[in-house]
Amino acid sequence: MEYVNPEGIREDGRRPLEMRHLHAEIGTVARADGSAVFEMGNTKVIAAVYGPREVQNRSQQLNDQALVRCEYTMPNFSTGDRMRKPKGDRRSTEISLVIRQTMEACILTHLMPRSQIDIYVQVLSADGGTRSACINAATLALADAGIPMRDLVTSCSAGYLNSTPLLDLSYFEDSAGGPDVTVGILPKLDKVTLLQMDARLPIDIFEIVVQLATEGCKAVANYIHEVLLENTKQLEYRRGL
Amino acid sequence: MVGLSAGEKHFIQGGIAQDLRADGRKRLNYRPIYVETGVIPQADGSAKVKMGATEVIASVKLDLARPNPSQPGKGKVSLFVSCSATAGPMFEGRGSEELSAELSVALQRCLLGGKSGAGAAFDPSCLSIVDGKLCWDAYIDGLVVSADGNLLDALGAAIKAALTNTRVPVANVPAGASLDEDPDVDLSSQETTRIDTSGVPVIVTLTKVGRHYIVDATSEEESQMSSAVSVSINKERRICGLTKRGGAGLDPSIILDMISVASHVSEQLMNKLDSEIAAAEADEQDT
Repeated sequence: MEYVNPEGIREDGRRPLEMRHLHAEIGTVARADGSAVFEMGNTKVIAAVYGPREVQNRSQQLNDQALVRCEYTMPNFSTGDRMRKPKGDRRSTEISLVIRQTMEACILTHLMPRSQIDIYVQVLSADGGTRSACINAATLALADAGIPMRDLVTSCSAGYLNSTPLLDLSYFEDSAGGPDVTVGILPKLDKVTLLQMDARLPIDIFEIVVQLATEGCKAVANYIHEVLLENTKQLEYRRGL
Repeated sequence: MVGLSAGEKHFIQGGIAQDLRADGRKRLNYRPIYVETGVIPQADGSAKVKMGATEVIASVKLDLARPNPSQPGKGKVSLFVSCSATAGPMFEGRGSEELSAELSVALQRCLLGGKSGAGAAFDPSCLSIVDGKLCWDAYIDGLVVSADGNLLDALGAAIKAALTNTRVPVANVPAGASLDEDPDVDLSSQETTRIDTSGVPVIVTLTKVGRHYIVDATSEEESQMSSAVSVSINKERRICGLTKRGGAGLDPSIILDMISVASHVSEQLMNKLDSEIAAAEADEQDT
């Protein structure tokens, strides 16, 4: 199957090193402490943060840091074929765990002991790269909630098909069975917090693909910076400054 | 949700009694309604509706299937609602099951009609492809993204908008093809037909606080309610469904009065929704 045609164009018209169109909005869920919608192409994800608040389950309370919890859900209509069981299936549990660990590493949890931070991520439309979109949305929602963090966390995926490294895989490219590398980084500190891959890759090509995904993460970080700056300007404007 | 103090409760009840609610509205005013269609690219029809801080999304997906033997010329329609955890921590895990079930059943009653197919919001025979052999199954899914009261009205509006936005693909079945096994259905022609949603009712929920009724309650106002009646009314001012919630008993004359108030309010709501949906569809076509 041809995923990159001889002229170097992919199935959706992009070049191999081109990301999909990014769009983000902050503060969409009024009742949440922080919320954001993040779109990467046709993948659309909404994240809401509730916290820091009192721990609901006393037995889980941590005396020296905040408890971070995360739930990831995909509704029936978000994928091409309608799914049967939207909550509690194993993929959702695994992705909830991945997002929680990634965000926990960057939140300054020691500043909020004996409290709980809930991150709820809901996929509205899935077209590949949902993991990355969820992490990006969660970062924006945490920033909107004013929760102290070491750095933003941004994430992007990359793959290798038809002997070409490809940035930001769509569902069609992801389901080709080739390697799919998801990377999450702390852009300012230049550290990797998430690295996942399936299928096989020779080591030298692996380095190229990871480097490509990292560049994608940095591009997302630039966009998120712009969005947060614009949001702050709007807040200042509304306060009459 | 943070609890209300005695002073706040008094303020809400007193305001409603004086026809001046906490956000400045009159008793029978709706919050500003925003409709956006085509929000879910993979769905055959979708819409997002915002009423104040309440935000809901509805999507319609069509799948090829065999029709019910008792109704060979019609497609099948099913409707489910779920509440996203983004609306609040109380919806985490299985916390949303009860509310989702209640909303699903109320909407099914209002929109899907009885077992014989009578009283349905739209005519399912528009979903039929080959009589008795092939039809479209319509799956209507509602998702509550943010909850600030009046979920039923918002979901009803979103489903109406999503159905208006739905494009049913025109399926060509080659002549002479055997339809007992899976036929080769030709969907390559990009033509689509639309569903006639002029008969889809709107839902108006009247919440009784003290001695007065309000329309479009926020969740704080809903916490002070004694009972609520949701009436589903269509363009011909006919009642398509009725649900009463809340423990307090109501005098039958009060219920009849609430129904007539709801019927009066539904006309404005219907007009507002129709114009918003038309504007949203026009916007979507431009982009």
